[in-house]
Amino acid sequence: MKLMRCPLNGWRNISEFTYGGEVESMPNPVTDASDVWAEYLFFHQNPAGLVHEWWCHTATSYWFIAERNTVTDEIIKTYPTSELFQKRVDFSQEEST
Amino acid sequence: MTTVHPETLKRRSMLYRKLATEGARFERTDDGAAPASYANANEVACARKMGIADLTTLPRIGFKGKDTPAWLVQHGVKLPGGPNQACLQQDATLVVRLSNDEHLLLDDVEFSGGLVARLASLWAFESDRLCYKLLREHSHFWLLLVGEYASAMLAKVCGVDMQPKQFPFGCVAQTSVARNNAIVVRSLLGTTPAFHLLADSASAEYLWFCLLDAMQEFNGGAVGLEALRALARESNSR
Amino acid sequence: MSVEERLPAPAGLLLDRSKKISFRFQDKQYEAWQGDSIASALAASGQWILSRSFKYHRPRGILSMAGQDANALVQLPSDPNTLADVTPVSDQLAVVAQNFKGSLEHDKHAWIGRFSRFMPAGFYYKAFFRPKGVWEKIWAPIIRSRAGLGVVDTNYTSGYFDKQYAFTDVAVIGAGPAGLSAALAAANGGASVLLVDENRLLGGSLTYARLAGAADAAARHREQLVSAVGAHANITVMCESMCNGWFTDNWLAVIKGSRLYKVRAKEVIVCSGSMEQPAIFRNNDLPGIMLGSAAQRLIKWYAVRPGRQAVVLTGNSHGYGVALDLLDAGVRVAAVVDMRAEPTADALSRAIADRGVRIITGSAIYEAVPDASKNHVVAVEVRGISARGRCADHGERIPCDLVCMSPGYTPAYQLICHAGGRVAYDDATSMFTLEGLPQHMHMAGSVTGMYVHESVCAEGRYAGRAALQSLGLSTEDIEPAPVRGLSDRVNFDWPIFAHPAGKEFVDFDEDLQIHDIIVSTLDGYEDIQLVKRYTTVGMGPSQGRHSALATARIVADATGRTVAETGVTTARPPFAPERIAHNAGRSFYPERHSAMHHRHLEAGAQMLIAGAWLRPAFYGEKGQRDQCMAREALNVRQNVGLVDVSTLGGIEVRGPDAAELLQRIYTFRFAKQAVGRCRYAVMANEQGVVIDDGVACRLHEQLYYVTATTGGVDRVYQSMLRWNAQWRLNVDIANVTSTWCGVNIAGPKSREVLRRLCTDVDLSSQAFPYMGVQEGHVAEIPARIMRVGFVGELGYEIHVPQHYGEYLWDRLMEVGVEYGIQPFGIEAQRLLRLEKGHIIIGQDTDAMSFPAEVNLDWAVAKEKPFFVGNRAIQEVNTRGLTRKLAGFVIEDANAPCPQESHLVLDGDRMTGRVTSCYVSPTLGKTIGMAFVAPEQAQPGSTVTIKSTNGRLVEAKIVKLPFYDPDNKRQEM
Repeated sequence: MKLMRCPLNGWRNISEFTYGGEVESMPNPVTDASDVWAEYLFFHQNPAGLVHEWWCHTATSYWFIAERNTVTDEIIKTYPTSELFQKRVDFSQEEST
Repeated sequence: MTTVHPETLKRRSMLYRKLATEGARFERTDDGAAPASYANANEVACARKMGIADLTTLPRIGFKGKDTPAWLVQHGVKLPGGPNQACLQQDATLVVRLSNDEHLLLDDVEFSGGLVARLASLWAFESDRLCYKLLREHSHFWLLLVGEYASAMLAKVCGVDMQPKQFPFGCVAQTSVARNNAIVVRSLLGTTPAFHLLADSASAEYLWFCLLDAMQEFNGGAVGLEALRALARESNSR
Repeated sequence: MSVEERLPAPAGLLLDRSKKISFRFQDKQYEAWQGDSIASALAASGQWILSRSFKYHRPRGILSMAGQDANALVQLPSDPNTLADVTPVSDQLAVVAQNFKGSLEHDKHAWIGRFSRFMPAGFYYKAFFRPKGVWEKIWAPIIRSRAGLGVVDTNYTSGYFDKQYAFTDVAVIGAGPAGLSAALAAANGGASVLLVDENRLLGGSLTYARLAGAADAAARHREQLVSAVGAHANITVMCESMCNGWFTDNWLAVIKGSRLYKVRAKEVIVCSGSMEQPAIFRNNDLPGIMLGSAAQRLIKWYAVRPGRQAVVLTGNSHGYGVALDLLDAGVRVAAVVDMRAEPTADALSRAIADRGVRIITGSAIYEAVPDASKNHVVAVEVRGISARGRCADHGERIPCDLVCMSPGYTPAYQLICHAGGRVAYDDATSMFTLEGLPQHMHMAGSVTGMYVHESVCAEGRYAGRAALQSLGLSTEDIEPAPVRGLSDRVNFDWPIFAHPAGKEFVDFDEDLQIHDIIVSTLDGYEDIQLVKRYTTVGMGPSQGRHSALATARIVADATGRTVAETGVTTARPPFAPERIAHNAGRSFYPERHSAMHHRHLEAGAQMLIAGAWLRPAFYGEKGQRDQCMAREALNVRQNVGLVDVSTLGGIEVRGPDAAELLQRIYTFRFAKQAVGRCRYAVMANEQGVVIDDGVACRLHEQLYYVTATTGGVDRVYQSMLRWNAQWRLNVDIANVTSTWCGVNIAGPKSREVLRRLCTDVDLSSQAFPYMGVQEGHVAEIPARIMRVGFVGELGYEIHVPQHYGEYLWDRLMEVGVEYGIQPFGIEAQRLLRLEKGHIIIGQDTDAMSFPAEVNLDWAVAKEKPFFVGNRAIQEVNTRGLTRKLAGFVIEDANAPCPQESHLVLDGDRMTGRVTSCYVSPTLGKTIGMAFVAPEQAQPGSTVTIKSTNGRLVEAKIVKLPFYDPDNKRQEM
């Protein structure tokens, strides 16, 4: 069984983790066109080579990012999500009730 | 020590029926009952090799949120150096750091601590302070696995290396034990190696069954607080 | 031969000659020493036939004595296909042979062999196709009765099998001279070492093979290495342990007894050795013909004299060692037949010459001759080799009852192949090379083609040090690895001699002859992988251990390629057969119980499995579901009922941005929700599909307690964490599912019951209205009380800390008695909520349901700047509905109650399906919900449901809910 290094918990059997899909950036919910959204929601790049993926250590529900080579199935590195997402995200603030 | 029956009390470990079938005599803890002994003359000897004790009704508490470390330090708690480490306080309370923001405090078998109760009464919900109490005494059941074979037994149900050399005192693993999420903390009872195991209360009966099955080959069995206290007092030089 | 007539010590390493035991084989009693294998004890008593072959029912005996061939498969009472050559015999064991009809010595099916030409390679393949039906009607019944292995005991009960992890710095697989040397080198450098070997004794070939020099040279070397290993604190030894597979990141499956060890090693050193190969000539499968190493194992391990007069066929110097061991054991060696034209003389061959044994060079066995009963070899026809694979027209017949074959070896490359290594072969030297090992895997010994003892040990030490370097335990330069020399060329290039009458077996398991392999290439299957599948070569129990190389050679020859070009088939785990029980282990399935679990059992509940949870379905006899459900439901409508809702998920969202997070995660509005109020919360995924629902309770400006579905909470929690990892809102999110347990007390009398136990909360409708939430105490226990109404009556959901759950249940049941309180189960709850028109996510929705389809558009805030799924929901809303969830009633009292997923029809057209359907005791008719076409969804329209047995049932669409449309009862 493959091993993976969780940035919080260290090296663990891959069975302790949940795969969360590729890291993709969400289009703007207001300004981006429908085809851009369709592309984001229903199509995935699935490239041969280096990918950035969401993984979650199930026992701690700890999400992190893994860089993996889909050709060799090598996990190149894993790191906390805070390295990728550094700023607070806000959506246009309209008052709601 | 007065004997009580768990069903006369409000707070009940989900294991009390199983413990009673094993012949447990219960003693009072706070608003619940914990097994004091099992009318087994060799209980201390058993605990030295492979014992399992239900500490579910003993005091413990959790705090979570990014302001937690500061709040704990402010109240005189010594924090472990990093996530997945544990350290003892002066009063023998064990502080377990589960992540940067989340801590779990376990009282000891003598109930000598009082830190858990003190922090519980000091804490109140406050706006804009991200330090929140977690009812760890309810969300998790709590077992102590004790004895020289405890790490060998754990190797049958857990994929993390918990041999003494690799997993010394103060190591913490949040992992899968018998296909169930659990927190395992390496501890010491006097000179006898021990592991705290905490997992989702709803899985208590399932895990109890799995662990007893796994410790069969080591002649493991249920032990009570009295045996644990006897071990804790043995040449405890720390 | 009685046990006392065995060879004297030091022969018989495995025997305990203080314990005599007795066992049965077929219908005869045999004696053995403790430590004997079944086959060794039988051979010692002159019983050479162990089984009959798979296809032609030919008599078969000892071939490898190493558990590598199918000849040795026998039947134990409840264990078919047991390897007789390695399985220790136990006292009073009952053994029978496999695959024969009548008696083992006179098999009534042996005639099949004479018709072998009618069953060529590809026989199965062809018979499957034509003539049509011939396989099912003719061949399958014949073959199933005649071919096959042991008999499965259908009354077999599995024993106690379990699993264990083991962790080590270095795992050394194989404890021959290379493995022992490697283990010592690694352990000396401070690494922890796990040394694994399938045999009972450490030492590998040193336990049976002959080294140059004194007769006991191997034993002395072995003693040195084994005692050093035994004394080393860093080395853990596992004997009788089979490393059955390598998996990613050095995860090794090792089976010992009834336990599967899951070994995680930082470094693996494969010292698995090599497997001696048979030579291929006519009747090479006769009992009495065995590998040279098999004869040596019989002598050295079991003190059994393998025959009276032997012929040794060899292609290397090892055959001379075999001949010396035979002589020392009192076997006459009629000749050593050396296939090499000009063998280089060495110490072993000189010793043989010195002892006056006849050496015939440049020759081969053309044919083995059976006795009259065809059950044992009595002579061999030796002929000169005229060309590669061809013999001269005439030869000499030499009488013998034992033939030892030493034509060469294949490396035990299986583990290395599991790890992605490749097997290469050099036609010029007939040597194998293994390449492409992954990082952190090393190898040493004869698996690398190293055969000279000193080099083997040196290579072991080298591998041990390389592992140390990789572990970072050593930075010293290490002496270079030894290289293979001329003396390591142990493989004769072509030990394959076709005979016009055939019966030269390439694969003993499947009874395949040279001709069968060639036919495959003639039929167009030239690729080695296709040859394997067409002929079944290598697909039997021994998995090509003895046939892979020979097949490659024959295919190469038949297709004009080199052996290197032809290659061998891939090896995959497991290396040796393993039991399903090993993989199953203890087979525990996590099971979750609520705090009130035992109270449900005591009340006679029938439990239902929901994910890992056990939940009460209804209270009463198993066959009484409908009656129990109706009784429980009516009691809720008329009096008061209590249901355990502990399995419900709970999540706390706390902090300054708590409301903002909910705004984004759920479809509804939460920003202005008042403290002390609950709101229904629907969660969609990014595709706009409804995936969960719950109630969001605002307990504080900065604290929400949100419930989630039993099966969905973990996913909801993970999803919240993942979104907030991107948004970085100032909140803390905690899954508190197991912190709280809960009950829902529902029914017109629920307030009265609760009032008896709850004194610090004003329960009046004005102070605590519908959709309110309060914190207080129930039975002196801290509680969160929510006035929500899934079942459509006045009701309270009471959540208390987990370990108070049973006490809470007890108290409510106790004070509720005078109000007629009864527990109700999941079935009644599902019925009640259906009457009230509430959907259950996952039951009344599917993976395509967006809010408007399931009448939840009211719970979607249109004006929010963003929530997960909003863009997709907007998009689908502009396109119009393609289906809609609607309520229906069936007025015909005689119509069968439709089941979930029964089809909704519009004429011939399928327009939807039923999602929920019950007979309502309150309303006195069958009610349900179904997806229907939008035009069918108007109340008053009629749809057709294709019900049980295809019966068409008319259903009338009605407005939801069925019960109490003005909500008077829940808002009481």
